[in-house]
Amino acid sequence: MRNRALHIIGWPALAAALIALPYGLSFSQQEVLVFLTINVLLVASYRLLTLTGEWSLGHVVIMGVGAYASALYTKELGIYVPISMILGACTAALVAMLLSFPLFRMKGFYFLIGSFAAGEIIRLLWKRFRDPFGGPKGIKKIDPMPDFDIGIYSFDFFEPISYYYLALVVVGICLWIMWRIERSPVGLTFHAVHWQDKLAEAAGVNVRAYRTLAFVIASGFAGLSGALLAHYIGTVNPNSFDIEMMVFVLTWAIVGGTATFYGPIIGAIVLTILNEVVLREMGFEQMRPLIYGLLLICSVLFLPKGLESVVQKVLARRNGSGAAAAGEEQA
Amino acid sequence: MVELLAQTGLNAIYAASYMSLVAVGLVLIFGVMGVINFAHGELFMLGAYTVVALYADFQLPFLFAVAVGLVFVGVVGLGMERALFRPLRDNPLGGLVASIGFLMILQALAVMGFGVRMEHVPPVTQEVIVFSEKVRLAVPRLFVIVAAVVLLTALWAFLKKTRFGWALRASAQDPEAAALQGISINQTSRIAMFIGAGLAGIAGALTAPLVSVNPYMGHSVIVSAFIVIIVGGIGSLEGAVVAAVAYAFVHTIVTTFWDGVIADIVGLSLMLVVLIVKPTGLFGTADRA
Amino acid sequence: MTVPFLEISGLTKRFGGLTAVDGLGFKVEHGAIHGLIGPNGAGKTTTFNMISGFYKPTAGQVRLRGEEISGLKMYEVARRGVVRTFQHSTLFAELTVLENALVGTHMSFRPNVFAAIIGWDAEDRRGARGRAEEALDFFGLLGHAHERAGDLPHGHQRALGMAVAMAAHPDVMLLDEPFTGMNPEETNRMMALMFKLRDSGVTILIVEHDMHAVMGLCDRITVMNFGRFLTEGVPQEIRTHPDVIKAYLGGVRHVA
Repeated sequence: MRNRALHIIGWPALAAALIALPYGLSFSQQEVLVFLTINVLLVASYRLLTLTGEWSLGHVVIMGVGAYASALYTKELGIYVPISMILGACTAALVAMLLSFPLFRMKGFYFLIGSFAAGEIIRLLWKRFRDPFGGPKGIKKIDPMPDFDIGIYSFDFFEPISYYYLALVVVGICLWIMWRIERSPVGLTFHAVHWQDKLAEAAGVNVRAYRTLAFVIASGFAGLSGALLAHYIGTVNPNSFDIEMMVFVLTWAIVGGTATFYGPIIGAIVLTILNEVVLREMGFEQMRPLIYGLLLICSVLFLPKGLESVVQKVLARRNGSGAAAAGEEQA
Repeated sequence: MVELLAQTGLNAIYAASYMSLVAVGLVLIFGVMGVINFAHGELFMLGAYTVVALYADFQLPFLFAVAVGLVFVGVVGLGMERALFRPLRDNPLGGLVASIGFLMILQALAVMGFGVRMEHVPPVTQEVIVFSEKVRLAVPRLFVIVAAVVLLTALWAFLKKTRFGWALRASAQDPEAAALQGISINQTSRIAMFIGAGLAGIAGALTAPLVSVNPYMGHSVIVSAFIVIIVGGIGSLEGAVVAAVAYAFVHTIVTTFWDGVIADIVGLSLMLVVLIVKPTGLFGTADRA
Repeated sequence: MTVPFLEISGLTKRFGGLTAVDGLGFKVEHGAIHGLIGPNGAGKTTTFNMISGFYKPTAGQVRLRGEEISGLKMYEVARRGVVRTFQHSTLFAELTVLENALVGTHMSFRPNVFAAIIGWDAEDRRGARGRAEEALDFFGLLGHAHERAGDLPHGHQRALGMAVAMAAHPDVMLLDEPFTGMNPEETNRMMALMFKLRDSGVTILIVEHDMHAVMGLCDRITVMNFGRFLTEGVPQEIRTHPDVIKAYLGGVRHVA
């Protein structure tokens, strides 16, 4: 009963808070909020990929595939921006599908290196082929999202606040879909493949197909996040999707923890706040890679289960069932 | 045409020399500790900056700067072993992730210490060995080749002829059995890390006058090193050297006839093909992953 | 002439120079509990792995109702109705008992991403849950449905391994050393469950090292030694067969 009340009050309250949020922020903070919203989608999709137990180092490049594809579809083919974003996501998923043929012959450490190599190849192709990818300087003057009016609110996408609302809706829908997938028999099969792939196979699960499925879906969402980014900042280049960006995503996921749906999202939010509030305000913006490196090391060493384990402990204590429940959820 | 090929061959031998120094260190660390050191390219960068600081800025002798580069980066390696890889010994993926974190830290420190601009290191000598009008070898490049041959021979002798070397090989093959034999894993890890990091450091130090030194130079180094160790068979030192030579030739030839980016793409594709067809590498035996 | 239900013929596996299984052949009748025994290193587990698709045979065939299933991947073999269990307690230790059994229902209620997102798979989910609970009930595990599988006592974990296989509704169940590490009481309970399973129409092939455990259980027993077929018969014949006694004595001396 308590749970239902929480749902009825909790979700609308959260939605209201998220809608009200930008009004308390400065222009530059609103811009950060847009990036954060996009990054939440990116890191949540990364977790979906890790559900089957494989960690990729090419996820950010896949995001870039979505960004480049959507940018090119609007620029070269004149496709309407919202449509091209979806096509960009599909392109990222398609590229992931093609990559899965070589990559899923590998497991564990080899998959990690293989995904890194595949990502680098894609990045080098962008760099090398000026036509159509624009070479090292990338693509500039990407069409923005066209303004529109829905009666109660008129979207002017020059304003970060408008783009934030758009991103919020898109990301919200995507998170809901990912949540539905994880809570479904498909999600259970992902977990089964992760924990005991041989036993899953003995139960008739085509393990490789499920690894590919997780990879392709995750890549589609990553591609959509890339498309959202491209049409916001108006420019993409190979360096926006380099290993440094991948390290940020990895840090969000590891600092937050990947056992729960919300872990990586917490990681992204906490670290972005840390970055913007602490580092930028104090003038340490330059030290972002240093701080991220330290955080990554510290969380691997001292908080291997991530921030989510802290949240779970607090929740468990409040529910009076003690830390045991936290341990159980942890699994 | 013959001259062009000869010149390409010389360039390839030079590239193979520093690549094998980097790759052999990476393989040694992986063999003994079972962890892939993603920060290995940044150790190379650290060696190069040692030369920038001591030789270019403080005008100390080049060879002294190189020696300091070897020892300093080796000591940084010891620190990594103690602070990162030892606590994460049962968690190879964690060790890899921690080394990615360390990579970011070293890059950021280099940016803070030296800025993002390219450092120009004055050449040690302008001398060039002229084989013919179109076939030349700059003496600093010869240094790198000679150093690589000497160091790799010394490493080979160390591994095959000394007690420490025997202990290292034993724990690379079977850490548990080695531990039962009274070989301290901590000690072999320290030795492997010092040598592995030191080799990356000296490779960076020696090549500093020949390349543009900048905080992000480690990236292309680690990419080539990955290609080399995967193609050579991860865990095989001989494989790493052979693959370094082979890859250097392929890369140099493709660079000469097409361009450098295509050469990188070819290299990475080769690596993917090896990962698909024979994940243990062309010379691979030990498989700890 | 009728087609044998499960027929193994000329089955061979070489690892490098070593021949682990050499031209093995036998038949399993529908609805029987069939034992495959032999001393350590006789090649039982290798045979088992070839039948279940875990290994590809070097030569020879496995036929189910006349259809060749050897050389197929493990999940393809499972989809044809031959489901295996694993030695020791191989489970999804991090998932709950019910979730373990639900994975077993994968083949009958094939998940679909799009249906799952829209919510059109409610009927399938109910069916899968019913099937899973039925399997848990069969093995007396329903009371533990929401416990973490890794926390179950050893005997329950074994039973859960079989429940996962049973939830798949197999025609043939391959059991890999199901009695290892069990005390006599647990063994008796497990044997009772296997009879129940056979009576529900499942054909069972057991690989077991312990000759005594299978004597009271099996309808027929095939004995292997050094990778080859040694003899076959009902338990009475096997118990007193001089070659079997010799093989096991040799095996014991070898182990000791």
